[in-house]
Amino acid sequence: MNPAGRAVAVDFVEDEFEEIGYPETLPTYSPHMDESAAARRRLGKGRPDGAEEKVWFDDEDDFKAPSVRSFSGGRPAQLALPPPTTLREFLSQNMPSIPPLVYTLLACYTRFHRIGLSPTVVWDEAHFGKFASHYLKREFYFDVHPPLGKMLVGLAGLLSGYNGGFDFKSGVDYPPEVPYVAMRVMLATFGVGMVPLGWFTAIELGMTQWAAHLVALMVLFDVGWLCISRFILLDSMLLFFTFLAVFCLSKFHNQQAHPFDFDWWAWLAMTGISIGLVTSVKMVGLFVTALVGFYTLEDLWNKFGDLRLTTKEQAKHWGARILCLIILPILVFMATFKIHFMILNHSGPGDAQMSSLFQANLHGNDFHNNPLEIAIGSKVTIKNMAFGGGLLHSHVQTYPTGSNQQQVTCYHYKDENNEFWFWPAWDQKDTVWDPKYGSHDPSDEELRFLKHHDVVRLVHVPTTRNIHSHPIPAPITKANWEVSAYGNATIGDVQDNWVVEVLGDVVRGDVNRYLDPKSSTVDSRARIHALTTRLRFRHQVLGCYLSAARTSLPQWGFKQIEVTCAKEEEGSKPAEGSIWNVETHWNTRLPPAARSLSRSPFITDFIHLNIAMMTSNNALIPDPDKEDLLASKPWEWPFLSVGLRMCGWGDQQIKYYLMGNPIIWWGGSISLIVATFVALGLVVRRQRYGGGKGARKPAPNSLNGDSGKNGAALAARPGDGLTQREWAQFWHVTKIAGGGWVLHYLPFLIMGRVTYIHHYLPTLYFAVLMFAHLLDYFVFQVPSTPSANPHTVPTSGVSLSDLNSIPKMIRTFRALPRMTRIKLYVFSLTTSAIVGTFWWFRAVAWGMEGPIRNTWGLGWRETWNIYH
Amino acid sequence: MASTGKLRQRVPVSARPNFEYDRIQEEEHTDDVFQNPNKRHPIEKILETDNASVVVVAVLTALAFALRFYKINHPDQVVFDEVHFGKFASYYILGEYYFDVHPPFAKLLFGLAGWFSGFDGHFQFENIGDSYTQNHVPYVGMRALPAILGSLTVPVVYAIMKQSGYSTVIAAFSAAIILFDNAHIAQSRLILLDATLIFFMSLTIYAYVRFQKLRYREFTTEWFGWLFATGFFMACTWGSKVNGVLTVATVGVAVLIDLWGILDYKRSPSMDYFWKHFAARAIGLIVIPFTIYLSFFWVHFALLPTSGTGDSFMSPAFQETLAGNEMLLSAQELRYYDTVTMRHKDSKVYLHSHVERYPLKYDDGRISSQGQQVTGYAHADENNNWQIIPTKALPETGRGRIVRHNDMIQLLHVNTNTVLLTHDVASPLMPTNQEFTTWPRDDTSRFNETLFQLSLIDAHDGEAWKSKSGYFRLVHGQTRVSMWTHSKQLPEWAFRQQEINGNKNPTEKTATWFVEDIIADETGEDPKERTGHQPPKVPKKMNFFRKFGELQLLMLQHNAGLTASHPYASGPLNWPFLIAGISFWTENDPQKQIYLIGNLVGWWTCVVALSIYVGILGADLLSRRRNSDPIPEPVRNRLWNSAGFFFVVWAVHYAPFFLMNRQLFIHHYLASHLASALIAGAVLQFILSETINHPISVEAPTMRRHKRQYADIGLKGPIIFVLFCIAMFSMFVFLAPLTYGTPGLTGDQVNSKRLLSSWTLHFAAKKTAEVVQ
Repeated sequence: MNPAGRAVAVDFVEDEFEEIGYPETLPTYSPHMDESAAARRRLGKGRPDGAEEKVWFDDEDDFKAPSVRSFSGGRPAQLALPPPTTLREFLSQNMPSIPPLVYTLLACYTRFHRIGLSPTVVWDEAHFGKFASHYLKREFYFDVHPPLGKMLVGLAGLLSGYNGGFDFKSGVDYPPEVPYVAMRVMLATFGVGMVPLGWFTAIELGMTQWAAHLVALMVLFDVGWLCISRFILLDSMLLFFTFLAVFCLSKFHNQQAHPFDFDWWAWLAMTGISIGLVTSVKMVGLFVTALVGFYTLEDLWNKFGDLRLTTKEQAKHWGARILCLIILPILVFMATFKIHFMILNHSGPGDAQMSSLFQANLHGNDFHNNPLEIAIGSKVTIKNMAFGGGLLHSHVQTYPTGSNQQQVTCYHYKDENNEFWFWPAWDQKDTVWDPKYGSHDPSDEELRFLKHHDVVRLVHVPTTRNIHSHPIPAPITKANWEVSAYGNATIGDVQDNWVVEVLGDVVRGDVNRYLDPKSSTVDSRARIHALTTRLRFRHQVLGCYLSAARTSLPQWGFKQIEVTCAKEEEGSKPAEGSIWNVETHWNTRLPPAARSLSRSPFITDFIHLNIAMMTSNNALIPDPDKEDLLASKPWEWPFLSVGLRMCGWGDQQIKYYLMGNPIIWWGGSISLIVATFVALGLVVRRQRYGGGKGARKPAPNSLNGDSGKNGAALAARPGDGLTQREWAQFWHVTKIAGGGWVLHYLPFLIMGRVTYIHHYLPTLYFAVLMFAHLLDYFVFQVPSTPSANPHTVPTSGVSLSDLNSIPKMIRTFRALPRMTRIKLYVFSLTTSAIVGTFWWFRAVAWGMEGPIRNTWGLGWRETWNIYH
Repeated sequence: MASTGKLRQRVPVSARPNFEYDRIQEEEHTDDVFQNPNKRHPIEKILETDNASVVVVAVLTALAFALRFYKINHPDQVVFDEVHFGKFASYYILGEYYFDVHPPFAKLLFGLAGWFSGFDGHFQFENIGDSYTQNHVPYVGMRALPAILGSLTVPVVYAIMKQSGYSTVIAAFSAAIILFDNAHIAQSRLILLDATLIFFMSLTIYAYVRFQKLRYREFTTEWFGWLFATGFFMACTWGSKVNGVLTVATVGVAVLIDLWGILDYKRSPSMDYFWKHFAARAIGLIVIPFTIYLSFFWVHFALLPTSGTGDSFMSPAFQETLAGNEMLLSAQELRYYDTVTMRHKDSKVYLHSHVERYPLKYDDGRISSQGQQVTGYAHADENNNWQIIPTKALPETGRGRIVRHNDMIQLLHVNTNTVLLTHDVASPLMPTNQEFTTWPRDDTSRFNETLFQLSLIDAHDGEAWKSKSGYFRLVHGQTRVSMWTHSKQLPEWAFRQQEINGNKNPTEKTATWFVEDIIADETGEDPKERTGHQPPKVPKKMNFFRKFGELQLLMLQHNAGLTASHPYASGPLNWPFLIAGISFWTENDPQKQIYLIGNLVGWWTCVVALSIYVGILGADLLSRRRNSDPIPEPVRNRLWNSAGFFFVVWAVHYAPFFLMNRQLFIHHYLASHLASALIAGAVLQFILSETINHPISVEAPTMRRHKRQYADIGLKGPIIFVLFCIAMFSMFVFLAPLTYGTPGLTGDQVNSKRLLSSWTLHFAAKKTAEVVQ
């Protein structure tokens, strides 16, 4: 309960290390590059105080420790190298670029190898291929995912010459005109890009080259990532952009010492753009957004306590984050939707999800043929005007609770069960309609237009039942009355009567502007226009309004939206869900109204579509009555308890099995557990021993002399045996990797929707980073020489490339310090395990031919359903 | 400035540097009020005396008793959950075993209260509204117990605040929030567990505060005394209701924070010191409470020796420890060719078949095998009779004819002479499960599909199959599905009987069956005489810890399973704002009702106080981050540590409900509401005055004495308190008809009591037109 320590930088003396001049020794350009001279050859800007971050780790003198701010982990700043003068120098300067290059080439091989082996539609290619076709045909469709990924799939199709004519039925062979190989290759390129991103992220996070090699190898050789990248799916893009976001974040972190420089702005903006991109592919991108958010909050909290910053600088820091990490990603996200709407300008299968006005503006839509004014006897479909609202619908199935009468719902697809007649109310039967309208054929009666305050019945066309409400609680929203379909053309009661109330019109404006709603004089202005008039249906008896919320019915209602009769307080604002408009309108006695309507504003369509996506995403909850063999539970993922058959398992089929490289998955999960204990241990030790020997004596300049915590923060060497730098490095990477993992994993535990193993693939990246980080912490970062001079950076990146004979190699190896040899052992053991397991399991991603029993040795765990 | 506050306490004046001298002189002057108790406002001086405190407590307690005992005999009917808890009390008196999701301590107390007031246990509390007076139940005695505990909660709240160093007026303020609260009162006037829970929870807080105050006198007798008291009260809280585990968690969090501080090298130079602290807490707060918690169950089992309604929840081994249990009395070994009836363990339906066949095509278009229907039927019937057919050679006589675990058997439906069969055809209601049907016995073409493996639950090899106690699963030999049923009814063509199908999970827990009765043996004789005369059976013994473990597990499972929707269930977010209450009881004739709802003034005060508190902490954090200290050190210390503890109590008793899927009610918030009343007091003190009673911890003899400070909130404290009490009392009186269920209200009165439109009161006058139907 003790409050956190006070601001740490109170006694910072500005001049302390500004004095340190240019370093005494320039880096040497031997082929034995140390990792501090790794990948980058350029230091942002050659500041006069460029040596500010030259770090001295000195046991003896606490005063040389720079402030916490300079020590927040990550890759140490590099000194600019002079331009190469000889070819040899040029080569040696570029040596660090070779490993990522090699890994990228290898990635091309693993990703593209035999990519067209299976000529059938595999797994979710059925969905995403179909969506690509819609883009090529420019037909409006609806899906729960944001559009960027699918647009890129469409782009791949466009580039490879696909004409959009194939319907991607699951398991069907591709016809010759579908260039599926080219499409797969283009999408697999994103998978290739993951590998160099992994390498450079490790470098930017300040890992040693050993660890960077490990990260790149793990990204390269995981069969799960490999397998998912090789098909026409969104996952390769999702993964690529997730990796990109982490990379940009770590890159941005390393610019911290030079705020508001060009590089700083560039990487901050790149971080924002990449989280915008990843979120535009799948909503899972919000998790990495959360990681960036937490990082930024911590960063700003530290800045807030930095008393050297002026208020203006503080404001600038905040403003920069808001601009680049909030506004920019939202703009990216919205831009993808803008393009989405621009491409899809034809009517298609997703129309009914959108507002009537939106649909009216799609090419190929026949709304303009509808008669304008609704009359009694018109056949209509009725659309809910709330965001994400559907079409009023009924079907023969009955409510299992309440009245047990026929269900009335809101439905998001067009079908004939959405069609209703406006018929006169029961009590008007006798006066105007009854004598010869037992059949209710109004064809030879005078046309009577529907008006404000008319009382009507809504008759469901296929079943001829009347929309009805009664004082029985609705099935889900118990506070409202149930709405059902009841009776038929002759049976019914007054509870079938609804009063039409006009609220206004999209074109003509609010109802008060063209009509006095109180007056009983009725002229043609009070008539209801199809598409544009906003109206409500008030139950004549109960006084409640026909409404649809966003609650889905259970399986018995086919997950459709619940329709209720909502009671409303007198004089309150009309609820969104109770406002409807007539969408399609058929009446043979009326002429079609050729009219063009202005487009609904983009922002409205954007919100509407997003709410519709959210609603249908939430409806994807597992059905307790239905066992989904493909689905798995989150706790089955970290230790790879399950795999997923991506296609049919017949003997003649090419079979793909989505699973991971067990060494990588298990190693990653174990290292997360170990990291938890290490972190806990470090915190406890620090609490127990305070700031070590540095803190037992009062920290220099400390005001009240007893502030152990402040002292600890300032002291060079906490009592846990870590240097300040090691401490900062450990926490920086642990927070990124551990925090990222938690943020990508926990939400799946909480959320109710059905989950599959591929949901773990973005999460796995953070486990991999943690795996490499822990090896780094325990092995690779340990100085190789028993440190006579601890601040020489360990000579870890030993390159054996110039050793030309084996005896010499052995001699050199034995001459290496013991720690270096241990590192080599650990490194080669891990690497060979990863590569070996990959080779063992390569067939699950590259495709297994022939009967499965001929593929031997894959059943490492009994729970994998590879064989049975 | 805070740093000077610190200096003042720790450094004698003479040791201060000279240049600060003037400033300190000045501060000494202003400090006069804080540090000289006699310079406080006369009202404050009077109120802070012990006598005044005693008077205040006496008044509060007397009022609490009065408000909770007022018309406690009304209604003389079973109200809300009295249905359960009254019944459980009667079971203790009768000694019949029952099962409930809550631990037994509070129910034991009710049993005791019932026994004390002369209840014979023969009233069953069947329905809400059953009359007590007609059935001669001494219900007032039983209701008195929670009323007493609920009344005593008020002085405990006062004591918590007083011990935490707040002024008398502030302590009385917090106590008044509980004293006049309609929800606390309604909940403690009835036979419900919450009053016990809340009373012991507040005692736990009190004991822990006392324990913390002694932190400079560690390992003394009093220190241990309050430590163990904390543990004891904690166990009682946990033993009253499952929610009490949150109190355990609260103390756990507080202890962890405490230990974290002790771990600091400045506090404990040697590790031994830390371990000593650790061990003391482990004993006081883990070992002792757990032992007490266990002992509740020991008493529980000891008091319930005979068979009762709870039997069927338990395992056969457990049931055989209960005297008079059917399983114990009539379990018999089954032999081949016995004709038996079988029942599903959970839904209690018989395995049934009849000549009607499955329709060829179902509504959803799927096709059936058109075989004979196999269903679950709830009533005794000839068609429930099945004969056990062996699939192996049997000896003529003797024990070789007994059916044993893992035997392959056929089941013959006696009336139609067909054998049970399942095959890879989807069942009528569930496409994923297999259809069960029967096949003519003499047609051996599908013999292999009629073989079932008898899998007894928790059985060893070769264990004999017994009627009643032999729970089993019937696993199909070929397809490894397990015979299963669920609560869904088949349509009219199967007379709305229950569906039987094959569950793909062969070890499915709910696929458990047992043999109800042996109708006939091979010869058609009544088999009762088969084993000759049997001596009356004695209940078996079972290890207490195994019993405890089994019961505890079942309680957890059933608690999580309470997910059915309830008309008065509400989400946690609604609770602090009092959005919805619970209708406990109604009586049509004089339009009386009991509606559980809190005192709007008190609850909203608490919400405001909570938000102010969070705001203060946030502002303090931010300003300290900028290196300025707006709040004097002792005051901040009080806010963070004392009120912070209350805040932890509030949060830990509240936040977990957001994660729970079970049905939740507003009375789950009462514990948190009590904590928020404590915070409200702390916030009021902070707002009214910068002064504070400090330090309040008992100092160690070796310590240098702190300079004491005294709180002085002057006259405005009592004035605000009185005004607040008037407001509280008016609101209380206004809502009292809903709390006490009397007098009856007219429709318009009900409408006027409906302060928030979300309250679903009964007998409201209709605003809308009459419904025509």
